[in-house]
Amino acid sequence: MEIIKYFGKGAGVWVLIAVLAVIMLAVSVFVNRSSKKVYAGRIILPVFFFELALGFGIVTLGFPDRGEEVGPGVVPGLWIVCILGLSAFLLIRAFLGLEEKDQPWGHTGKVVIFIAMTVFYLIIMQIIGYALATILYLISGMYFLTYRNWRVMISLTTGWILFSYFAFYRLLYVPLPKGTLIEMIFG
Amino acid sequence: MELLSNLIQGFGYLAGVQPAVAIVAGVILGILAGAMPGLSPSMGVALLVPFTYNLSPQTALILLVSIYIAANYGGSITAVTINTPGTPSAVVTSFDGYPLTLQGKAGVGLGTSLVASTAGGIIGTIILIFFSVPLARLAVRLHPAEYFALAMFGLTTVASLGGKNWAKAFLAAMLGLLINTIGIDPISGVKRFTFGTYKLFDGFPLIPALIGLFALSEVFARIEEYKLEKGEEAKFEKTHWPTFLEYWKMKITIIRSSVLGTLIGIFPGAGATIAAFLSYDLAKKSSKDPDSFGKGNPDGVAAAEAANSSSVGGALVPLLALGIPGSATTAVLVGALMIHDLVPGPLLFVERPDIIYSLFAALLIANIVMLVLGMFGARLWVKVTIIPKKVLLPSILAVSIIGSFAVNYSFFDVGTCIGFGVAGWILKKYGYPGAPIVLGMVLGKLAETNFRRAVIMGGYKIFFTRPVSVVLLLLALLSFGVPMYQTYKEGKKEKASS
Repeated sequence: MEIIKYFGKGAGVWVLIAVLAVIMLAVSVFVNRSSKKVYAGRIILPVFFFELALGFGIVTLGFPDRGEEVGPGVVPGLWIVCILGLSAFLLIRAFLGLEEKDQPWGHTGKVVIFIAMTVFYLIIMQIIGYALATILYLISGMYFLTYRNWRVMISLTTGWILFSYFAFYRLLYVPLPKGTLIEMIFG
Repeated sequence: MELLSNLIQGFGYLAGVQPAVAIVAGVILGILAGAMPGLSPSMGVALLVPFTYNLSPQTALILLVSIYIAANYGGSITAVTINTPGTPSAVVTSFDGYPLTLQGKAGVGLGTSLVASTAGGIIGTIILIFFSVPLARLAVRLHPAEYFALAMFGLTTVASLGGKNWAKAFLAAMLGLLINTIGIDPISGVKRFTFGTYKLFDGFPLIPALIGLFALSEVFARIEEYKLEKGEEAKFEKTHWPTFLEYWKMKITIIRSSVLGTLIGIFPGAGATIAAFLSYDLAKKSSKDPDSFGKGNPDGVAAAEAANSSSVGGALVPLLALGIPGSATTAVLVGALMIHDLVPGPLLFVERPDIIYSLFAALLIANIVMLVLGMFGARLWVKVTIIPKKVLLPSILAVSIIGSFAVNYSFFDVGTCIGFGVAGWILKKYGYPGAPIVLGMVLGKLAETNFRRAVIMGGYKIFFTRPVSVVLLLLALLSFGVPMYQTYKEGKKEKASS
């Protein structure tokens, strides 16, 4: 019990996350090389949820026990048990071939690039400010999706910047990020 | 009598520029969101929540429910004119709406859908008013054990409607409940699953999470599909619009479908699509000419539209009276209420009757506004389909990002939105719906606090000693068991046939 509790707090949590990540990776490699490859997604996701619930369950054991009848770990424990049960059920179904086969991936690369662009937008917004970052993001986003009508691209971007300035900054008092670089240059 | 005077006061709250602008803007935005295939009512409402932070709670709610009502109608415009339903429930409208357009009677389809939507919306609101007030009075007396059982029943019903994917829907709901436990425990003050990050002390912010799950995940799915061509533009030639007498002939269908739609809407998880399908089926079965359905019978359009619009009133019954959101859109409305420090439920009727009755009044007026704007703008609304997705998708992302940032002026919230968006996209790909996650996140606090209060008051046995709690838990068990049994039966049948 003490060993399990070690994983529930402090450095133990990070060790637990690392162990679960390694198991996850091993399962992914194993499934993708086995005859169940067509169900890879249907197997990996329940395994992930099972591990997630297991990890949360172990962390729950580290919650302080103050002798209450219903402590802070009871309700999360209830949900964790349900997740473990349902994940196991879905896993068995996938292994028995009762689940649908995985749909082929579409233009996943484009989605990944778009997500990366969005994360980059978030980062540069803090450096060059909301307005400049949004102009870059919207124009590059439309260009990436092969839109080439520059007149529409520029007018839409300008319109959006003006709208967000008036709606969010002036009307809703949202302090839109000015950007560290811009503040450094212009004070 | 008290109800009537409260309602009159409710209309009084609307006498101002802000509420009027909120209704008109909400209806216009709702129609546009509904007409645009790929934008659902819940996504439309979620994207607009950040714009309501500085509005009064009344105006914010009025704006959001106006969007909710109008989006259901908006979906029918493109369903009738170009056979592209803007919302899932409008699929049923297209069965007879599009054949009418092919026969050169687009006006009949559009007029019928507009009038039936308006009538359905008004009837649904009237039932909401008469149903929710007594239900709220009853709900105030519920014991925490019964409240917990009710929350469980709501969640299992929603998840059971996942159909073949019921286990995934249940799992999604449980994940939402677990996510809700992240942060400082409201009763003992213990930090749960925060991993030393102070930003998680309040848990994951709800609004960015639901914007991510509803809007971003959809955008990513569209990019993955990469079908980004411009939509088909509807061509309106001179068309005949129904006369008053023609509308009058459909009164029985409209009233029957509206009542059915409202009742179906009350059940958590049922919603507009099921209401539209069942009402259409009922209209067909009770028609003297059932063969004409699917070939351009205006009664089919009226049944579907009256039902899906009236289901809005139904869905608001459990939300307002019990604090239990029964659909994705009402879960978003809970989030909107929460940012204004309002907790939906029976106590709201006692503490803030002004909010409740102004909402009722706004629902009635929004339907009338929808009728007027629908009459004059049908040709205009349909143009929304020609907006290129290549322009729309980055724009939705930009709105989502600024909307998430505006909650707490925090980049952590924006990161949450993106994270939930990516998770929602992957989960959807493997058949895990996003709506139960949001419902779990919304209902989690209600379920947990009532569970723990009940146990403190009477131990674990209390759930099995109070009759109402026992009945509700049995119903929850049943709604969990029925889809399980159906899957087992279908599997057996498939085995036997092969």
